[in-house]
Amino acid sequence: MSQDKHFNANKVFIGLIILTAVEVAYGVIGGRNYLDLPKGLLWGGLIFMAIWKALLIAWYFMHLKFEGWIVKGLILPTPFLIAVIFGYVLPDLADDESNLVYPIGSMVEAKSGAVYEHMSDLQKHVNPDAGH
Amino acid sequence: MSSITTFDPLVDAPKHHHPVYDYDSGPPVERGKFAIWLFLATEVMFFAGLIGAYIVLRSATESWPNPEERLAVDITAFNTFVLIVSSWLMVKALFAAEAGDRSGILKWLGLTILGGTLFVSIQVYEYIVLFGEGNLPRTDLFWSTFYLMTGFHGTHVVVGLIWLICAWVAAARGKYTPKNYLGLELAGLYWHFVDLVWVLLFTIVYLF
Repeated sequence: MSQDKHFNANKVFIGLIILTAVEVAYGVIGGRNYLDLPKGLLWGGLIFMAIWKALLIAWYFMHLKFEGWIVKGLILPTPFLIAVIFGYVLPDLADDESNLVYPIGSMVEAKSGAVYEHMSDLQKHVNPDAGH
Repeated sequence: MSSITTFDPLVDAPKHHHPVYDYDSGPPVERGKFAIWLFLATEVMFFAGLIGAYIVLRSATESWPNPEERLAVDITAFNTFVLIVSSWLMVKALFAAEAGDRSGILKWLGLTILGGTLFVSIQVYEYIVLFGEGNLPRTDLFWSTFYLMTGFHGTHVVVGLIWLICAWVAAARGKYTPKNYLGLELAGLYWHFVDLVWVLLFTIVYLF
């Protein structure tokens, strides 16, 4: 613990705050309520800024910059492993039907397996006399 | 009983001075630090699994609600600011430990704990409001994934707070010296990790 780990924490902190402010503004203004940017552009920009912030925290606040090869060797495989996880996920995303999950709020009737897009429809099916 | 006297060179040989090495034969990193980084690597994978599941569910759902219409982005943006500030305060506490400034450690670490407590309080308030509006985890997929990811992270924040409070008590007892403040450093690493994960979760859950 004797190695010099000094860095300008205030600069990193200000950078994080500025990035957060820009990110929130970009997300809100570029989102569906205002500019409605293409998803790739919106999500790409947001993820870029989020990862930038995460790297700043890891590199400086978590002292990764000052650590030796053992610590770096412990954490460096994780991006690769994350890529593997997301790699397994991609075939699902690329599915032709692109609708693996029923619309949000859908319910599945356990016995018949019938899908109801609204919970109220399922309730009507289960208890047809309800509401009369 | 008779005893057989033998010459055992390991026992009976004249004693020599053992050489004293100025290095440790272990890995060139503290064991605690090795362990915490290994643990954090597994935690990264845990959160990656959750985020991966969220991406699949979201992309496969026909119409995903606009998070801005369901969540208070402004309040949570402020909460993100609070967590980043607390992370910065933690760095200040470590600098104070390095300088042997015990009152500095107590001050900065205390403020870090306050920041974390404020973060959890705001999140609890958010949950109370959402529950009051009938937005329960079982309501739909949006809320299921929302509560799972933010709740799992919130649990980490609470664990981190308990750890920081223990570190504060240890600091008050004078446990940390400029040459040995590893306990504080490990608590700090966990706290920064919690901050790092939130930076990503906030973007994915609230802004996407």
